[in-house]
Amino acid sequence: MLARAAENLYWMARYLERAENTARLINSTTDVLLDLPHGATLGWDTLIKVAGLDESFSKLYKTANEDSIMRFMIEDERNPSSILSCVKYARENTRTLRELLPEELWERINSLYLYLKDNASHTLSSRRERYIVLQNVVAQRHAVVGLISGVMAHDLAYQFIRLGRNIERADMTTRILDINFAVSIPKDMPLYEVSVERLWMSTLKALSAYQTYRRLKAVNVTGAGVIEFLVNDERFPRSLEYCLKEAESCLQAMPFGGVVLSSVQSARMNLQRLNATDLDSGELHELLDVTQKELGLINSALATQYFHAYDDPSKTSAVQTQQQA
Amino acid sequence: MEIASTEYAAVTAYDELLDHSLKPRSAAQPFFDYLNSLDSDELLARREAVEATIMAMGITFTIYSEAGNIDRAWPFDVIPRVMGRSEWDPIQAGLKQRLKALNLFINDLYNEQRIIKDGIFPAEVLEGSVNFRKQCIGVTPRFGVWAHVCGTDLVRDKDGTVYVLEDNLRVPSGVSYMLENRQIMKRIFPEVFRTTNILPVDDYPTQLYHTLAALSPRPGDQPVIVVLTPGIYNSAYFEHSYLAQQMGAFLVEGQDLLVGVDDVVYMKNIFGLQRVDVIYRRIDDNFLDPEAFSPDSILGVPGLMRAWRKGNVGIANAPGAGVADDKVVYAFVPQIIKYYLDEEPILANVPSYLCMYPDQCEYVLNNLDKLVVKPANESGGYGMLIGPRATQEERDQFAKLIRANPRNYMAQPTLEISTAPTLIDGELAPRHLDLRPFVLQSDKLYATTGGLTRVALRKGSLVVNSSQGGGSKDTWIVEDTSC
Repeated sequence: MLARAAENLYWMARYLERAENTARLINSTTDVLLDLPHGATLGWDTLIKVAGLDESFSKLYKTANEDSIMRFMIEDERNPSSILSCVKYARENTRTLRELLPEELWERINSLYLYLKDNASHTLSSRRERYIVLQNVVAQRHAVVGLISGVMAHDLAYQFIRLGRNIERADMTTRILDINFAVSIPKDMPLYEVSVERLWMSTLKALSAYQTYRRLKAVNVTGAGVIEFLVNDERFPRSLEYCLKEAESCLQAMPFGGVVLSSVQSARMNLQRLNATDLDSGELHELLDVTQKELGLINSALATQYFHAYDDPSKTSAVQTQQQA
Repeated sequence: MEIASTEYAAVTAYDELLDHSLKPRSAAQPFFDYLNSLDSDELLARREAVEATIMAMGITFTIYSEAGNIDRAWPFDVIPRVMGRSEWDPIQAGLKQRLKALNLFINDLYNEQRIIKDGIFPAEVLEGSVNFRKQCIGVTPRFGVWAHVCGTDLVRDKDGTVYVLEDNLRVPSGVSYMLENRQIMKRIFPEVFRTTNILPVDDYPTQLYHTLAALSPRPGDQPVIVVLTPGIYNSAYFEHSYLAQQMGAFLVEGQDLLVGVDDVVYMKNIFGLQRVDVIYRRIDDNFLDPEAFSPDSILGVPGLMRAWRKGNVGIANAPGAGVADDKVVYAFVPQIIKYYLDEEPILANVPSYLCMYPDQCEYVLNNLDKLVVKPANESGGYGMLIGPRATQEERDQFAKLIRANPRNYMAQPTLEISTAPTLIDGELAPRHLDLRPFVLQSDKLYATTGGLTRVALRKGSLVVNSSQGGGSKDTWIVEDTSC
């Protein structure tokens, strides 16, 4: 497979995953915000903080309220991580990959793009409309995932898609776990315990993990329990452990995966050493920061190993030796 | 569905589907029977379904504009162009004959130049050709074939005669639209395919694959074939990716390839370099190889010509094949066919006046109001003068251009090109069209069944190019010999 194609596949999967995660995050945040007591600092701006976009947001908008933040996160093409931008990039990438992908896939992604382009503005008029449109984005994205897993050959191209999906998913999980760092609830507030519990519930809901947590982990929602679940659970597909294990298995299916593989393994080992019970929010933040950096390293290892290995013409002769060997 | 009879009364061109009393011709009768079984709301609903399908399938072409490149949905008319097989068969034979002769001609030009020595083809035409590549002199590609993919434009004049308008031998495009048009029709009007015996067109990608595979320098079952595209901003990018997908070939850009010190072409894969056997290139000669041609090209691959000249890679169409894609060369094709094949041309050429000959040039300058004047090397309908429709000022301007560079111009009588009923504002109105079949040659010759019908959607317009307001129709060759 062409190096450029591998890179496009990887990013196509990341963009689509990011679009879905953002849609889910917005819907669950809307839901959670309605339940929080007055005085808690979780607000709409948490969304842009989670996405790491507060700086680029403040360059474009004067006030951070529901309206401006929704516009920025959903349909603003100046924000490269807005849902519309992600779907647009995924579509552009797919277009360069049509020969590697099932025919229907292009039609699906193209339709998702057209749907969103026609409907993104509706999400600004009412919360109800927004909910419906974002649900549809999630559903249409799932049709894409279904096609990939059910119709596409599980070949190298597939592994790069799966890899991109899991790296992006892990990235989002670290960001959402980090929400708690951004939020503080005054200890002397009435119903402090309940509010904290709600906050952790919102973390679970943002990752569509609430129901699974209750079923697999515990009925009570505690900070330590949620962290443990979202970091270390082997069964939940959005936990860091799960995502990194998936990434490992993708790389094991690829020749010369070694260099990248070891960076994934070291990230995974760091997280397995975590002891959630003794962790305060500052330490959690630090740990998540380290994990994000490790995810970044995985990205650059992929680029050196696969995507841009032969960009330098002086390497040509070495490359030929490798091929003959 | 009503036929726009007033509009038809004002048009004297031959109509592909209707005779002069506006009755369906026999090949088109079953389609009209079907059409009459739909009420007009139903037909309009299906047309809307067509538009939705085109958007969802993402069948687009790109318009270049100052506001950026915009993807436009492919304009498609639901009324097919229908032709009986008994009429099509000789056309198909004529197309193959023509390409076979043209390839012998190109190979001769780059080698012995017998046709010039024998006085059939003037040396000065070759000297004035901008598409003759001296980098190709002395090369004989496999099978002696240079133009592996040819898009031949056909038109029908008032009296019903089909003429060849031009042979596109460089990087002809449009075949993906021919294939997609059929897909759309099958999705939207499945019923009519049961009642009419419409010959399929979908073997083209397989035939293209075999044509290309035969060019591989390494014998074996699975040659590595790539489609070389200038990239996503090219107006035909849709087609490049479509054909790569249909053939199971790699879609590559220049940056994905390199030529090693061994003069072999490699593709930059994730696990190393992989040898490339055949390149179906969709970029012009000038951009192919910055070492041999335009040095500032970033689309091409340095060293590609070296690899090709050594026979280490097959390139389709071969560099330099465009020498025969020239409106002046066109005028000589009937003689070329006789010279190489000792056969009479099956397909007619439009009578042409070459401005390089003083007497013909004089005739052209005196009759600019009756003629269509074309520059030798432009494509896409650019730089033409349609005399009868031009202003005196435009004609004077053109006369100056012709006098300044007579070799670069040729002229033809204005043909009254045929029409077909086209759904416009709820009526079937006559619109002018042409037909571009695609012809393939390597070890074998192949021509598509029908081709791409392009239609000028603007009333009275003769310009069918999609970049200038043209649309397309599905083209049906229907069985009429056995029944």
